[in-house]
Amino acid sequence: MLLPRYELKSDESLTVFEFVSVGRKGEIPKIVQYSETNLKDFYNLGFGDKDLQTGEVDDTVISDNGDGQKVLATVAATVYAFTDKYLEAWIYATGGTKSRTRLYRIGLTNNLDEIIEDFELYGQREGEWQEFVRGVEYEAFLVRRRS
Amino acid sequence: MKKIEELNKSKLPIIKIDKSLGKYRDKVLFKEKVEKANEALKSVGLPKVLQKSKA
Repeated sequence: MLLPRYELKSDESLTVFEFVSVGRKGEIPKIVQYSETNLKDFYNLGFGDKDLQTGEVDDTVISDNGDGQKVLATVAATVYAFTDKYLEAWIYATGGTKSRTRLYRIGLTNNLDEIIEDFELYGQREGEWQEFVRGVEYEAFLVRRRS
Repeated sequence: MKKIEELNKSKLPIIKIDKSLGKYRDKVLFKEKVEKANEALKSVGLPKVLQKSKA
């Protein structure tokens, strides 16, 4: 089942996405960026709020806009778009804080059956990558589109 | 490489192309996260399945 998500904008590279969260705090522009890491084909997923006045992004702010599930579903949609273009890409993602990483884990857990149809999914735990399973805490996540 | 029109199907999201976002293409917006990702990938390494396939 596809969850509601926001309309996405991107440039032609499909490495930067923008959408607008609409909720109780108003409209909050969000940016998702896939950045190359030192390892070939490994990308970091960055995600945060965009300040319309300065153009700066902030991935530490807690928006509390009441649409967290829709926002996460929209970020997940960018993973589909990005990995559809970059077929060999591995995506590294972490929340930055324990609570935010936990939110990501809950989002992954709630949609795990659908995710593993299309992706390999690992969690970082005890110094290694483990196949993602429900009910286990992880420090970060690694995902790749199934070929 | 697939066309944008093909991406706007099924689980793939509808994406409106906005060329103005190209200004971010060569700019790392989340530097700290990328540095952390590099540290983690260096210390934790790759998933075992990938280590085997690269061996």
